[in-house]
Amino acid sequence: MHPSIESKRPRFSRLLVASAAVLLFLLAWKAAAEAIGKDIILPPPERVLGIASTLYPTKLFLDALAGTFLRGLTAFGFSVAVGIAAGLAAGIWPLVDAVLAPFLTLIRATPILALILLALLWFPSGFVPIFSAFLMAFPVMATSAAEGARAADSRLLEMASLFRVPRRSVFFQLRLPAAAPQLLAGARSALGLSWKVVVAGEVLSQPLHALGTGMQNARVMLETGQVFAWAFASVILCGLTEWVFNRAAKRTARHGL
Amino acid sequence: MDYELRSVSASYGSEPVLCDISLSFAPKSITVILGPSGCGKSTLLNVIAGLKVPEGGARLGFDAARFSYAFQDPRLLPWMRARDNAIFALLGAMDREEAGGRVDRFMQAAGLAEAADRLPSALSGGMKQRLSLVRAFSFPSELLLLDEAFQAVDLRTKLELMDVFLELWREEERTVVCVTHDIDEAVYLADRVVVLSDRPARVLDQFTVEVPRDERALGAGVTMEAEARLYRAVLSRPDFV
Repeated sequence: MHPSIESKRPRFSRLLVASAAVLLFLLAWKAAAEAIGKDIILPPPERVLGIASTLYPTKLFLDALAGTFLRGLTAFGFSVAVGIAAGLAAGIWPLVDAVLAPFLTLIRATPILALILLALLWFPSGFVPIFSAFLMAFPVMATSAAEGARAADSRLLEMASLFRVPRRSVFFQLRLPAAAPQLLAGARSALGLSWKVVVAGEVLSQPLHALGTGMQNARVMLETGQVFAWAFASVILCGLTEWVFNRAAKRTARHGL
Repeated sequence: MDYELRSVSASYGSEPVLCDISLSFAPKSITVILGPSGCGKSTLLNVIAGLKVPEGGARLGFDAARFSYAFQDPRLLPWMRARDNAIFALLGAMDREEAGGRVDRFMQAAGLAEAADRLPSALSGGMKQRLSLVRAFSFPSELLLLDEAFQAVDLRTKLELMDVFLELWREEERTVVCVTHDIDEAVYLADRVVVLSDRPARVLDQFTVEVPRDERALGAGVTMEAEARLYRAVLSRPDFV
């Protein structure tokens, strides 16, 4: 069989199964909404779609989307940059690992809401979601980077050391590519986490332009359909950025770092 | 100037590995150190390279020398193309452009020019080992150390690799110290064969291979005669296991 046909067939059947699962979910949702019979508790899917189609083209929504997007991207960018630097250093030097370990454990063990509440006391509302998301995503990235640094083949490191290859070249051409699978996995997790925490932070801190603010305002007005519409927007934003990230990751894997 | 080990002893913890080893290595010669598996041959290479500090004796002339290596496993970076793999090892000794020139020359001599842009995963075992030799020869060293570099391949590839090795050595002669437990390999490559005992390793005997290198071929009469002499000498020693 031609390889392209062979590879397209499982992808097509996977898409078919996924579409069937979504359809089943929508039917179950519709049935539940009919059974409850109160839009304020669970509006049916077609009502949410109607609200979303009215809400999404408005300036209010687009500004909110842009605000959340920038916050998410900022938090993700910082957590990846700092996480990679700290994690690789911890993976290479045990002393850095020993210094970093208690902080990572502390941050991981702290409830996300406690972090957001503290951030509310310390920072302006627009910065709270960024700070909270950074603190949540940073340990994930740092841990993956440390694992990646430890994954470098000791025989390759010995070869580089015997040939006296400069440290800079060893770092960029050996350690970093060797850590790439762990770095990509860590960044993927950090990305998903960033969106969730940014929106949660926005719900509590209420910055001017934010999906979380829109969600919270709709909740206060008991507009459950709107809460769904705002929430879907954040799901789509998360899904789209993950799709772009995965495409970029595949491209990187194919063409090297 | 010769490189010399004088009464060198080394151990790991309380276990002695090398015992009173005295050897000299003439410049641009190929010395093969022959000994049973686990006798301490690699430790001897590490002492020569300065990676293991001996407990006794002296290393003379080695400190100013630069070393290059070929290992039993080729140790290639899997994400780097063949040519870049060899260049990577040279970055501490010269700039990338000069390194590229040297690597191209040795890749040509090793018959690897066509494979320069391939990733290691697209190379056969023999080609990977050839690339490892190219990397070792491209590095501007005075001493080249080979640690069982022809062992992890089949016989046919091994013969091919040994010829590639000699071709590269003729391209730029340098002092070579090669450890192996294979008598055929020793006679085929060496100017001189040093025979070590089982652990703790001592020098049992040293032979100069009189047959000119051009006349040596595995299976040829003169080579087999030299091998037979070496076999007889080695097997007559009760301490060579």
